[in-house]
Amino acid sequence: MDLLAQILINGILLGGLYAVMALGLALVWGVLNIVNLAHGAFIMLGAYVSWHLYTYAHIDPFLGLPITAVVMFVLGYALQRGLLNLVVRAPMFNTLLITFGLEVVLTYLAQLAFSADFRTINPSYAGDSIQFGAIVLPLARLMAFGVAIVLTVAMWLFLLHTRLGRAIRATAQNLVAARLYGVEPRHLYAVTFGIGIGLAGAAGGLYGTVSQINPYIGATLTAKSFAIAIIGGLDNPLGVIVGGLFLGIVESLTALYIGPTFADVASFGVLVLVLIVRPSGLLGKTA
Amino acid sequence: MPNTMILKRNTRSLSLLAAAAALLMSAGSAMAKDIVFGASVQLTGPVANTGRYYRDAYELAIDKINAAGGIKVGNEKQKIVLKLYDNQSDVNLSVRQYTQLVSQDKVNFLLGPFASNFALADSAVSEKYRIPMVQGGGASDQIFSRKFKYIFGTLAPASNYFGSTIDMMKGLNPAPKSVALLYADDAFDVSVAEGTRPKLKEAGLNVAMDERYSTNATDFNSLLSQIRSKNIEAVLVAGHETEILNFVRQAKSLAVAPKMYSFTVGVPSEDFRKALGKDADYAFGMTAWLPSADQKDRWFGDAAQFAAAYKAKFNYEPDYHAASGAADVEALAQAIEDAGTTDPAKVRDALAKVKFESLYGTIAFAANGQIDLPQTVIQVQGDQLEAIYGIHGAIKPPKYPMPAWNAR
Repeated sequence: MDLLAQILINGILLGGLYAVMALGLALVWGVLNIVNLAHGAFIMLGAYVSWHLYTYAHIDPFLGLPITAVVMFVLGYALQRGLLNLVVRAPMFNTLLITFGLEVVLTYLAQLAFSADFRTINPSYAGDSIQFGAIVLPLARLMAFGVAIVLTVAMWLFLLHTRLGRAIRATAQNLVAARLYGVEPRHLYAVTFGIGIGLAGAAGGLYGTVSQINPYIGATLTAKSFAIAIIGGLDNPLGVIVGGLFLGIVESLTALYIGPTFADVASFGVLVLVLIVRPSGLLGKTA
Repeated sequence: MPNTMILKRNTRSLSLLAAAAALLMSAGSAMAKDIVFGASVQLTGPVANTGRYYRDAYELAIDKINAAGGIKVGNEKQKIVLKLYDNQSDVNLSVRQYTQLVSQDKVNFLLGPFASNFALADSAVSEKYRIPMVQGGGASDQIFSRKFKYIFGTLAPASNYFGSTIDMMKGLNPAPKSVALLYADDAFDVSVAEGTRPKLKEAGLNVAMDERYSTNATDFNSLLSQIRSKNIEAVLVAGHETEILNFVRQAKSLAVAPKMYSFTVGVPSEDFRKALGKDADYAFGMTAWLPSADQKDRWFGDAAQFAAAYKAKFNYEPDYHAASGAADVEALAQAIEDAGTTDPAKVRDALAKVKFESLYGTIAFAANGQIDLPQTVIQVQGDQLEAIYGIHGAIKPPKYPMPAWNAR
C-alpha cells in the first residue's frame, strides 16, 4: 500500500514536470498552428542557460528561472519575427520542416558551444526530501511541481483576463475578426512564440535541476510534450496539466505493474487511445 | 573584349584543372605507400560523449606509430592514414559509412565504432567484404557468437562485466541479503544481464528484483521506490551514462541508499564523476584498464605514459574506452607486421594468432575473436577513484556499507 501511494506521488510529481514542458508547445500549437518540433531543443537551451547562471553566476536555479525565461523569450521573439513568420501561413508540412531543421541546427550548435559533456544543476538541496512516514517527497521535484502549477494557472489567467491574452485567443479563434479589432498579428505571433519558448526555457531549468543536461535531450522531450499536448487538449492550459499528470501516473504505474521497459509503450498507447476516443483532448471540447 | 574574357576564364579553369590533377596524383602516390585504416565513430549525437574516446585514441595511437617510422611491412616501413567518418550516433548511417569505406574509399583495414549495437551491425560489412575489423567499442557476446571470421574485439565480454564485482560481494561483511539487477534493453546490457544472472545464483545471492527498463529512460522513481519497499541491499545496474546519472540523482532525492550499488558505465569516466559531484561517492564500477606504469607498451612505453600523453593532447582523462581504442590500432599494426603484408586474409590470420603486451594488457583473441580481460572493481572514494578488487583478490578495502544520504 505504501509502495502504491509512493508510486502515485512519484507519478504526480513527474506529471507536473511534464506539464510545464508541454505548456509552451501547446500554446504555440494552439495559437500559431505550428507544431514546434524544436520545442525540446529550446528546453535544452533553457537548461544550459540555467546551468550557466548557476555555475558561473551562482544564481539559484529556481530564482534564476525568470532570467532564463526572459532570455529564451527574446530568442523566441527574434526567431519568430526573422524566420518562422516566413511560413506562418504556409501549409503545416512547411512549418514541420522548418522547425525540424531548427531542432537539428540548435542541437549541433549546442554541441559545438557546450560540448557533449553531461551537466547537472546540483544545488545543495537538489537531493533533499521530506518524509511522511513511509512516503518520501523529493524536494526539488516538489518545487518543480509547484512552479508548474503556478505557471499554468498564471498562463490561464493571462489568457482569460489580460488584454494581450484576449488578443492572443482572439487571433487563434478568428484572425480576420481580430485584425478588424486592431490586433497586429505579426507582433502578436512573435509574442506568443516568445512566451512559448520562455516557458520551454523555464522547463529546461527545472529539468536540469532534477535530471541531466546534454545537447541531445531535446528530441525525446519534444515527443513527450507532443503526447501531453494531445492528451490534454490545446484549448486551455489546464488541459496540459491534466495531460501531464495523467501521463506521469500512467508511466509510473506501468513501470510498477508491467515493467519499466514498457513505460513508453504505455504513454504512446494512451496517446493513440485519446486520439480515437477524444480527438480534441481530455479537456477539449467534444466535436 | 568578350574574347579575352573567355581566354581568362579558360586559363583559370585550366590552372584549376592542373592543380586538381596534381593533388590527385600526390594523393594517389600517398595511397600507394600508406596503409589506410577506416572507421565510423559517433562524433555527434547522443553517444558523442563516449564516441570521442575512440576518435582521440585512434588519432593518438596512429600518430605515435607514425612518429616511430610506421609499420614494418616486409622490408619497408609504411605510414598509417586514418579515414574517419561521423556516424551521428545513427546505426544505419554507420553501416552505410563502413560500406563506403571498403567499397569506395578502399581502406585496407577497419577500426570499430563505439557500442555493441553499432559493432553488431557494422561487423556484417567487414565480414561481407572480408576486411578485418578490430573494434574496441562493442562488448556484447552477441557480436562474437555468429562465427564471423573478420571481427575482433578488445572489450572484455559483457557477460562477465559483473564477474569480479560478484566475487567481491561474496566477501563483503555483512553480505548483501538481496540483490536487484536492472538493465537497459539494448544488445550490450541484455548480454550483461544474461551473464550476471547465473553468476549471482552461483554465488548464493538472492536476486529479489530483475527488471529491464527502456533505453534512454529518464525516470527511475518507480524502480527506486520498489528497491526501498523490498529492502534491496545491493543494486547492479547495466545501462548508459545518462540513465545512471539520473538513477543516482533520483536515488538521493528519494533517500534510497542500498548497502552498495554498482554500474557498468560512468564510474571510470571523469566527466561522469564531475557531473555528479559529491553524489558520486561510494559508487562502484568496473574497468578492464587502469593507467598503470606496470603495463608496458612498445610504442607508448607504458599505460601511464599513454594516459599522460592523451590528457596532454585532448585535455581530458582517458578511460578504458580510449585504451581499448588505442589497443585496436596496435593490434592491427602488430598483425600487419606479423603477416608481412597488407593482404586482408593474411592479416586476419595473423590477428587470430596475435599475442603481445600493450598499454591495455595482453592482446590475444579467443577463437570467437574476443579478448578476455578481467574486470577490476573500482569505487569512488571521496574524490578519488580507487581500485578495489582484481583477479588476485582484494586491492583496497571497499567503503561498505554505503551510509544513508543524510548521514554523509
